[in-house]
Amino acid sequence: MGYTWDWSVIAENADIFVLGIFTTIVLAVITMALSLPGGLALALFRLRGPAAVRWLTTGYVEFFRLTPFLMQLFWIYFGLPYLLGISLDPFIAAVLTLTLNVSAFNSEIFRSGIVSVGSDQEQAAIALGMSTRQALRRVVLPQAVRRVIPPLGNQWVAMFQSTSLVAFISVGELMYQSLVLRAGTYRSLEILTATALIYLIVSYPQAKVVDHLYARMKTSAI
Amino acid sequence: MNHLNFGSILEYLPYLLQGAVVTVQLSVAAMVVASIVGTAIGMGRSYGGRGLNAVLGLAVDCLRSIPQLALMVWVFYALPVLAGAQISPFTAGVISLGIQYAAFMSEVVRAGLGSLASGQQAAAMALGMNRWQVLRRVLVPQAVIRMLPAAGSLLVSLVKDTSLVFGIGVLELMHQAATVNGLVPRPFEIFTVVGAIYLVMTYPITVTINLIYRRRAASIVS
Repeated sequence: MGYTWDWSVIAENADIFVLGIFTTIVLAVITMALSLPGGLALALFRLRGPAAVRWLTTGYVEFFRLTPFLMQLFWIYFGLPYLLGISLDPFIAAVLTLTLNVSAFNSEIFRSGIVSVGSDQEQAAIALGMSTRQALRRVVLPQAVRRVIPPLGNQWVAMFQSTSLVAFISVGELMYQSLVLRAGTYRSLEILTATALIYLIVSYPQAKVVDHLYARMKTSAI
Repeated sequence: MNHLNFGSILEYLPYLLQGAVVTVQLSVAAMVVASIVGTAIGMGRSYGGRGLNAVLGLAVDCLRSIPQLALMVWVFYALPVLAGAQISPFTAGVISLGIQYAAFMSEVVRAGLGSLASGQQAAAMALGMNRWQVLRRVLVPQAVIRMLPAAGSLLVSLVKDTSLVFGIGVLELMHQAATVNGLVPRPFEIFTVVGAIYLVMTYPITVTINLIYRRRAASIVS
C-alpha cells in the first residue's frame, strides 16, 4: 500500500471541523423551524384552498420534489439575483432554498397525515356545532400530527444530508470546510474520512431515533 | 432587473441535452447496481439469520447516515489513495450512488418481504415446493408489487442525486448547465430550462409507477 497516514492534520484543524458541523446543525434547525409551519400551511392550502391556490401549490410542491436540490440552489443563488437585480448572501440563499425544498416535502407528509385521519371525524365535529376551523384544530390536526412524526423524522435526517450541498455556494458548513481544508493540505484521505465519520457520528443516532419512532407508531393504537 | 431572454440559450440546448444523456446513463448504471446489491442485502437480512442481519444492518445504517456528496467525494478522492488505482469520475459516481442506494433499496426489499402474509411459505412448502420455488413463484411476485411505489421514489431520488457528480467533474446535466452559464451568463433562464429537463425525466417515472401499482394493486393479498 505504501501510504503513510497522518491524522495530525485532523487534530490541528479540529476547530474548523467543529465550526463546520455547528453551521450544519444551525442550518438544519433553522430550516426545520421554518419548514414545519410552511409545510403545514401548504398542505392546508392544497386540501382546502380555492382551485387557483390548490393548483399553484401543487405546481410548487411538484417542482421542488421532482428536481434536484442542487439545481434549486443554483437557481435561487444565481438565477434570482440575476432576475431581480439584487445580491443574495450565500447563507440566506441556502436557508431559503432549504426551506422551500423541505416545506414541499413536508407538505406531502402533512397532507397524507391529514387525509389518513378521515373526513368522517371532521363531519361529525361539524355536526356537533364546531366551525370547520375548530374541527380542524381540535379534532383532525392533533391526530394527524401524531401520525406524521415518524415521516417528519425521516425528512429531518434527509435534510441534514442535504445541507452538505450548500458547500457548492461557499456556505461554511462541514462539507465546505473539509473541502477547503483538503485543498490546503492535500491530505484527502484523512480529511474526507474524518468528515464522513463526523457525519456518521451525528446522523447515526438520528436515524436510529427515527427507526424507533416508526416502531413505536406500529405498536401504538393510533 | 434583467429582461428574460430564453432565445439566447436556445443554441446551447444540444449541450444541455448531451448532459441529460449522461445523467440517464449514470442513473441507469447506479440503479442496476443498487437493485442487485440492495436485493441481495435485503434478502440476506430477511432470510440469512441473526448474525448476518446485524452485520448488514450496521452497514446499511452507516450508509444511510452519510451525505451522498460526502460519500461521492470520498470514493473519488480518497479511495484511489487506498487502492492505488485511479477511477473515472463516472465510475466513482456509479459506485457511490450504487452502494448508497443499495442500502436504501435493501430497506425497501426487507419491508416488501416482511409485509407478506406469513402462512404462505408454510402452505407452499406443504404443497411440496422447495424453498427456491416458494420464493420464485409465491413470495417474490407479491413482494415486487408492494415494493414498486417505494422503489419508484428511490429511482426519482437517484436521478436527482446524479446532479451531485457535478462536484467531481462528470459531464452530466448540471455540469453542462454551469458551463453554458459561463459562456452566456443567463442563470435564471438556464436553470429554469434545466429544471424543465429534470421534470421531463422524473415526472414520467412517478406517473408510470403509479399506473403500474394501481393496475396491480388488486392482486395484493394482505
